Amino acid sequence: MPETAPTAIPVTVLTGYLGAGKTTLLNRILTEDHGKRYAVIVNEFGEIGIDNDLVVGADEEVFEMNNGCVCCTVRGDLIRVLSGLMKRKGRFDAIVVETTGLADPGPVAQTFFVDDDVKARTRLDSVTTVVDAKHVLQRIADSREAREQIAFADQIVLNKTDLVSEGELSEVETRLRRMNPLAPIHRAERAGVPLETVLGRGGFDLERIQELQPEFLNPAHGEPGHVHDEHCGHDHGHDHSDHGHDHGPRGHAHAEAEDIKGVALSLDRPVDGNRFTAWIDKLLAEKGPDILRAKGIIDVKGEDRRLVFQAVHMILEGDLQREWRPDEKRWSRAVFIGRDLDEAALRAGFEACAA
Amino acid sequence: MSFAFDAYVVSALFERSGRAVFALGDGTVRFETGETVEAHPDAGLLAAALHPSGEGVVTGGDDGRIVWSRASGPTELGALTGGWIDAVATSADSGLIAFASGKRVEVLDAKDSLFRREFLHERSVAGLAFDAKGRKLACATYGGAAVWFARIADQKPQTLKWAGSHVGLLWSPDGRFLISAMQENALHGWRLADGKDMRMGGYPAKIKSMAFLAKGALMATSGSHGAVVWPFRGNNGPMGEQATEVGYDESALAVRVSADSGRPFVAAGLDDGRVWTADLRGVGVTTLKADKGPPITALALSPKSDRLAWGDEDGGAGVFAIS
Repeated sequence: MPETAPTAIPVTVLTGYLGAGKTTLLNRILTEDHGKRYAVIVNEFGEIGIDNDLVVGADEEVFEMNNGCVCCTVRGDLIRVLSGLMKRKGRFDAIVVETTGLADPGPVAQTFFVDDDVKARTRLDSVTTVVDAKHVLQRIADSREAREQIAFADQIVLNKTDLVSEGELSEVETRLRRMNPLAPIHRAERAGVPLETVLGRGGFDLERIQELQPEFLNPAHGEPGHVHDEHCGHDHGHDHSDHGHDHGPRGHAHAEAEDIKGVALSLDRPVDGNRFTAWIDKLLAEKGPDILRAKGIIDVKGEDRRLVFQAVHMILEGDLQREWRPDEKRWSRAVFIGRDLDEAALRAGFEACAA
Repeated sequence: MSFAFDAYVVSALFERSGRAVFALGDGTVRFETGETVEAHPDAGLLAAALHPSGEGVVTGGDDGRIVWSRASGPTELGALTGGWIDAVATSADSGLIAFASGKRVEVLDAKDSLFRREFLHERSVAGLAFDAKGRKLACATYGGAAVWFARIADQKPQTLKWAGSHVGLLWSPDGRFLISAMQENALHGWRLADGKDMRMGGYPAKIKSMAFLAKGALMATSGSHGAVVWPFRGNNGPMGEQATEVGYDESALAVRVSADSGRPFVAAGLDDGRVWTADLRGVGVTTLKADKGPPITALALSPKSDRLAWGDEDGGAGVFAIS
């Protein structure tokens, strides 16, 4: 566990490809009346600049760490800028990092776990990815960065919903959820989401892993195995032909984007703690470069507290959290989001951890 | 003597006269004699070095300005638009001042206001160091260091490569070795004559501070539970040698060191706010500041090694007399 000082400054990361509406959202964060002063780290000085906030340019330099871990990359520019900002303590209350559309979110997030000074002074709150409803399917098809930004998100702002039909929106949401079953999707026009859906999310905070929403364990609408229930939120009455092409184990229309998906696992029996630890260590050591995010709540045999974990590539954090409540169903669940995940192997490995 | 400045102490320095100066994160420069200079108004100060004349300090800020602050007031030496100046180096011997902003390094001459050199790099420059004579300037980047002749306009630098991000640099006084503190908890060294690599690892923390002492025979660094001292005698420097750890204390990390260039005498500032000195000829460690507090961020021995200036993260600062 990292020892994060209580005074650690929260950092919110905004990603999304060019034109999706990141800057609109950033300006909303800066102008809304919340009494907070922000330091903003941007790649390009755009149409922002609020008197009371500090705006800093950064160069998006990705550094490989010299520790033999191939996926362990950090953003050198962020380390420098954050260490500079720490010399101006008291000048701001929170930090927003706006990345370019071409940025890989992995190194951004890993910076907050790998660099000791950054880890001691700041706390990565969450990653928000802004996508625009009209173009996101095309971006998913043609841009690896766009896919990774979606897969990495703690929450997704589905912007410009006024430019597409309800049917198109459902199709987009299905695609997003299949790639990232953990991130709530907030529909918006002109990035108009309540700021509490973006700020103060604790997306990497083990204490905040309370529930992996059951609907996320349900395959997305249009996926094989999807169960229509009250969580589905889908209008069952209308014509399903809107997204008919999504049926089948590998939707041919979007085969190019099938490399990234979320896999949800669950187990009703308690798990052997040692076996689970060995399994996840080995999994992340071998597949870490392809696993973007993972989260889980585990029912360990003989343990009254919930074992929670979260991972970014090979960086794993886990801890015993609160006790299971007497009226709570004890079960284990985990979600892995990554490239080319072998769902059957993941499931078999997870189930083999049963005590 | 102690101060409460209420701003991060970026650097503590001594003027040639022996007066202590503190450069603070709030953009001010404070002299122990009471003067306050607004070097970077409404901006942050990121790096500082003693002016080549020995009077006042040269600072770089997040306002893109490079400023010379004397007790009498500030003088702007240069300005860039849009960039932070987060590394500064100076040389009393050559009179040169170097500063880095992103991939660009500029060199000024304290005695010639028309002199200006610009050295461009492929990656951002995180650290700068002049050699002892101030003729060569080493620039730390991702993937290695570039060594430039600081006064020459058109040239290709000598590139010293080593995978990883290089953050801070120090030349051995004889100019034979260049030492780099890396993003990882390790040092890397190059022997300039043949480019031979030296790896100096085993540190539990990032190395933020390095200094040569005892006429270049020893180098002290922070980054461990004491000051780590490497032998630099002979042609091979520290190669094949073991480091020793002075003032080992498991409960804290040394985060800043300063040393006497002539004698085997070293000072260390710890992450729990304590400050000590040690005479390596065996007198042992003398704790000057036993009160714990915020991590030490700045430490400097005076030119005669008779005083020690320190500063911490929250603006605590002071000067001790060394008996």
